[in-house]
Amino acid sequence: MLEFLLALLTTATVAALLWPLLRMRLPARDRLSGELAIYRDQLAELERERAAGTLKPAEAAAARTEIERRMLAAGDAATTTTKGSATGSAKASTPSDAVQKWLPPALSLFVPLLALGLYLQTGRPGLPAAPFADRGSEHPAPSRQLDVAGLLAEARARLAQDPNDADALAALGEGLTLEAGGTVTQPALEALQRALRTRPDDARILYYLGLHEAQSGESKAAIARWRDLEAASPPDAPWLPMLRAEIARVAKAAGIELPPSAPSTQAPQSTMPTPSREQQEAMAQLAPEQRQQAIRSMVEGLAARLADAPQDRAGWLRLANAWKVLGENANAADAYGRADTLAPVDARILADWAEAHVRQVAPGAVPSAQAVAVLERLEKAEPRNALALFYLGVAAEAAGNKPAALQRWKTLLALLPADAPIRGMLEERIKAASR
Amino acid sequence: MRRLLFILPLLTLALMAGFFAWSLTSGRDPASIGSVMVGRPAPKLDLPALRPGEAPLTDADLRTGKPVIVNFFASWCTPCLAEHPLFTRLREREGATIVGIAWKNKRDDALPWLKRLGDPFKLAGFDLDGKTGLDWGLSGVPETYLIDGTGIVRRHYRGPITERDLNETILPFLKGAVK
Repeated sequence: MLEFLLALLTTATVAALLWPLLRMRLPARDRLSGELAIYRDQLAELERERAAGTLKPAEAAAARTEIERRMLAAGDAATTTTKGSATGSAKASTPSDAVQKWLPPALSLFVPLLALGLYLQTGRPGLPAAPFADRGSEHPAPSRQLDVAGLLAEARARLAQDPNDADALAALGEGLTLEAGGTVTQPALEALQRALRTRPDDARILYYLGLHEAQSGESKAAIARWRDLEAASPPDAPWLPMLRAEIARVAKAAGIELPPSAPSTQAPQSTMPTPSREQQEAMAQLAPEQRQQAIRSMVEGLAARLADAPQDRAGWLRLANAWKVLGENANAADAYGRADTLAPVDARILADWAEAHVRQVAPGAVPSAQAVAVLERLEKAEPRNALALFYLGVAAEAAGNKPAALQRWKTLLALLPADAPIRGMLEERIKAASR
Repeated sequence: MRRLLFILPLLTLALMAGFFAWSLTSGRDPASIGSVMVGRPAPKLDLPALRPGEAPLTDADLRTGKPVIVNFFASWCTPCLAEHPLFTRLREREGATIVGIAWKNKRDDALPWLKRLGDPFKLAGFDLDGKTGLDWGLSGVPETYLIDGTGIVRRHYRGPITERDLNETILPFLKGAVK
């Protein structure tokens, strides 16, 4: 609506400018007749003066000749101009005449047209309006500040029940920080550091610890911590844009150059090529067995390339995922391990890794020591993970630690839905272990 | 002569452009008003303690033979909040002696503020009417003074201290590298 009004105003303005400009250009004939009328007046005056005797006849004759000469010249000029404008060729009229004639209307059209072109190039007419009253919501702080009191109350209530509840400790640290207007205070720091002990991978805790480092004059450490967090985060993690903005802000404030190669502006990407669209389409045409063959050869190619570039953590994770999809669980577990040595993996990947391990366990057998190590890490990160609870129970039972096994299985049983198919089997094992 | 007059506006513009270009590129801080305190003995310090039950602050506290950081703060001051973690760090990890002075700030406001943020001050003074601030040439809060072991002011920071101040002057000063 507004755009339409503005366009209307512009059109009206251009029209108001063009109207007199175009009208001013009188036909050359009209100008000639005007000029001739002046000369005729001059001739008549000359005649009157000569009759009155104020001019000598010789002077009058010279003046008359001069006026007549000018009349002829005016007639000539008028003829050439009309011819020039009639045929439209610039040959007859001089270039400066043409410029004078066309420049003002051209300019008055050019400026709005340029504006329109720029708008079409960069304008976003579909963008919703941003009334002043709503602009505050772009800032997450005010809306979150509202529930800080609630957040703190809830965290304190939970801590009263269990003083080591990592979630509540993290929430307390966050709440205290928000309460202090975004400064990580000493009490907040203590809560966060305690929470970190049980949650070494928690994004929220790591973010606020980094913020504390940035605020206490250790921007380098803060950026390093946040970079690690960024690398360990899944590419679609909701906090990534904020985290990257914070990294850029702190780096700028401290005058630290972010290495250009580092993935500061995009998710950690593997340098290994992904299949192109054509390759994917070609693969879809193949028969299932051939497709499986083609995928396997591609995965093996990836594995071979990674052997040459073992520092590519994202590449290892992709390889691990590919092996897992192909059912090559031993290879998958190995690839996860390679990625993990480059930088510890988060809970989500730990779950995949553990799954790759336990799929290798034969029914009724005991998980290997490596599997147990991964499962224990998974359990630490996710105490209610069913996979970890079950297989660590199996491992504990095999090690002769029946109470630990029973405790895990009973926790798992309580977590399982009533119609879970493995309930019966689990109840059997609990019964057997209780004996 | 008339012609030269027409050049005058152009000349003025060129002069102004030159000045602005210099201001922008020379790194001059137009907000800096300098300090007359640097290089002189620290002004008189005679204040009641902020924390109840502590001894009042005197000049002797600034002449202990060890460098002292004096920080004027107030609970109502937002930049003070921003620099607070730096003081906490200086106290906790560098073992700095920091004297905090609550300036034009009621005890009932300053003490909870310190409790909430953590209290990095070895000594804390209470300058409710701002008279000590006047003696110290304070223009507002926060301001921070570095005072060497003999009681001479070596640095005066107006506004919050930053990571750069910390790394470039405060830490070297505490190690005795800045005189």
